[in-house]
Amino acid sequence: MARATWVGTWAAVASLGWSTGLPTPAAAQTSGPGIAGDLGAVTYDDIRAGLSDPTRWLTYSGDYSGRRHSPLTQITPENVHRLVPVWTFQTGTDTRGRGFETTPLVLDGVLYVTGSNNYAWALDARTGRPFWQYRRDLPDDLTYGASAPVNRGFGILGDRLFMVTLDAHLVALDRRTGGALWDVELADYKIGYAATLAPLVVDGKVIVGNSGGEYVTRGFIDAYDPETGARLWRFNTIPGQGEPGSETWPDDPAVLAAGGGAAWMTGSYDPELDLIYWGTGNPNPDYHGDQRPGDNLFSNSLVALDSDTGKRVWHYQFTPHDLHDWDSNHVPVLVDMEWEAEPRKLVMVANRNGFFYVLDRVTGELLLGEPFTSTTWAREIGRDGRPIILNDGSQGCLPDPWGGTNFFPPSFDPNLERFFVTARETCSTYVPQEPENEPGQSNFGGVVWTDQEAGYGALRAIDPRSGALVWEFLYPSPTFAGVTTTASGLVFAGDHEGNFIAFDGETGENLWHYSTGSRIWGPGAMTHMLDGRQHVLIPSGTTLVAFALLDARP
Amino acid sequence: MRHETTTLALLLLAIGAPLSAAAQSGNPYDGDPAAVRAGRALYGNRCAECHGADAKGMNGPDLTALWAREIRDELVFQTIRSGVRGSVMPSSSAPDQEVWAMVAYLRSVSTVSPFESTAGDGARGEEIFAATCVRCHRVAGQGGITGPDLSLIARVRTRSALARSIQEPSASMAGGYRPVTLVTMEGERVRGVVKGEDAFSIQVVELGGRLQGYLKADLREIVREERSLMPAFSADRLSEEALDDVLAYLGTRR
Repeated sequence: MARATWVGTWAAVASLGWSTGLPTPAAAQTSGPGIAGDLGAVTYDDIRAGLSDPTRWLTYSGDYSGRRHSPLTQITPENVHRLVPVWTFQTGTDTRGRGFETTPLVLDGVLYVTGSNNYAWALDARTGRPFWQYRRDLPDDLTYGASAPVNRGFGILGDRLFMVTLDAHLVALDRRTGGALWDVELADYKIGYAATLAPLVVDGKVIVGNSGGEYVTRGFIDAYDPETGARLWRFNTIPGQGEPGSETWPDDPAVLAAGGGAAWMTGSYDPELDLIYWGTGNPNPDYHGDQRPGDNLFSNSLVALDSDTGKRVWHYQFTPHDLHDWDSNHVPVLVDMEWEAEPRKLVMVANRNGFFYVLDRVTGELLLGEPFTSTTWAREIGRDGRPIILNDGSQGCLPDPWGGTNFFPPSFDPNLERFFVTARETCSTYVPQEPENEPGQSNFGGVVWTDQEAGYGALRAIDPRSGALVWEFLYPSPTFAGVTTTASGLVFAGDHEGNFIAFDGETGENLWHYSTGSRIWGPGAMTHMLDGRQHVLIPSGTTLVAFALLDARP
Repeated sequence: MRHETTTLALLLLAIGAPLSAAAQSGNPYDGDPAAVRAGRALYGNRCAECHGADAKGMNGPDLTALWAREIRDELVFQTIRSGVRGSVMPSSSAPDQEVWAMVAYLRSVSTVSPFESTAGDGARGEEIFAATCVRCHRVAGQGGITGPDLSLIARVRTRSALARSIQEPSASMAGGYRPVTLVTMEGERVRGVVKGEDAFSIQVVELGGRLQGYLKADLREIVREERSLMPAFSADRLSEEALDDVLAYLGTRR
């Protein structure tokens, strides 16, 4: 009996799929699962179909549009008060400094979940119980990755999962076992690079972006071959000397090489236009601009890139020459809607600088720019597309560095034609200081005093055609929760005190909540159909909880 | 930063103590002005984002309150080094000298010198405290919980700050002791201090010391009080002499 137990235990260990993080020999690539043709393998067309098969969630935002809107209607404003937990998965790994930010993917009753410290799992979607766990041997001397050891999700294609790592790598895992198939370096983590976002998989390409904008880094958006991990293209968010945009920087290669502009949030994709939309982060150092006079393109921008070449087609900069760390790393929300009585292809961004923007996503033309917070910094975007600065900090406090909203996803409900975003209202004073500019050391260039009493948060429903507030729900603290909407008119959001909350999207009434015990930081809910029962999942702290209606049985 | 690190290295040589020995005896840079300056710069770059530029707390706790309870410098060092499990405080791989420098800085902004004035009779002050203050305040494990624990208060508050807190308690109210009045559906008014709150509930310690949670849906009104729950012990209520006595008593508690 004892011997049988030993054998059973070793078999269980062998199937856990731990990776040492070493480069995978070429032989493993050809013997691993392929990209196309296997039964049940995910194809580009599957991802492009988005949530039309609601048993699936195959990319960070649910689909390429970034609207984060599910067609499911089993859970409604009338019955959501009967939502109960079905299971809890506990990660066993701490998230220091941030939160449990992931969006699980789901396919054929299996969830694919990434966690902090580059743990990852395949879970049975019925019970939350693991099939396998991936763990990475991370180096002891991580830089940005040590202060924010998070991950926001997998990409998926074929039978492969793609995940970025805190030591600035991109790995491909076998979906069935969690075993690593290939592992490539994005950049040198020792300088300050890391990667935390969920990759965006388009036709034949895995698109990722870097973290580490507070270090002496230079931001990039990359495309990789899903078969081999070869880099197909790189877009540098900070131009080189003489390149377009470099005229907005000093002509100094050292300054450009440390320009920042990290691209650390998953973008969106328009397959018809073949354009990738991606947000870029703040210029470096954050609060001290003397060494970088000029607008500092393409920091704090939305860039539209050709998906084949990575070449910039257009850009719009939200905050030129930023001195407040107002990264524009947001999920761009692609909406087809009538604008001034004409059908139009739009992109909407609620920005960290406190403004809500609508642009034409074909041309980049700015159509609307209105504050959605009570920002004192500026209240108006000028005709030239630049914010009209009312307060540079000398006229009272400013929004804090974490801004009027942050990376956590907003959502757009196409039936209500309404944009939902978690907003933050804060009051801060910035004190620039001479920065250090050392590789491997973070480099804010100042300190920030924040009035704790004055801060609060809100879930805001915005009319996208005017930027006007339709309704809001106030939170006691400035909050970092994402939003997801469903076709029954529900809005799922959360707060900094750990409540996972359902609202009526039409009226703003809060209908149901569950206290998860840890702040909802970063994720928006994911929802899918399983065995005839709609499940809603929210990560929080070290748990992932799945909810469903009490009386909807499989 | 290179300059600061060199200064610290020179300091270490000057002190002549290997760091392992120093760890046993406490902070090798305790009170050292150069180390405190270096620690301040390091703190500003790495800690202020969460703990505030003045270390009084932001998303992270008020660090100036650390020494108001028994705490060894080694524990502060260890907390910076290892982070705090289950929280958002990360670990640090900075060299030991830098971590000690930060501890020295934190201590310099947290603690105050012993009271200069020796006016007042501490024994009489202890009697006054037992008659008047112990209902709400604890010292050495005895007393109420509605107000802050005053066991080591003289470590972190000057004499004049304490006098002001006694005479004008509403001028500066400690975090964790925000006064509130909850009005129930029956119209009952419950006074207490807020220990926790979210969009749907509030957790208070009531005036009598009872812990009680309320669902906001069950309350008619929540009144955020401007005035502290503590009565103002102005001169007509507590004579100058009696105030000196109480301060003398608290001044011995370090």
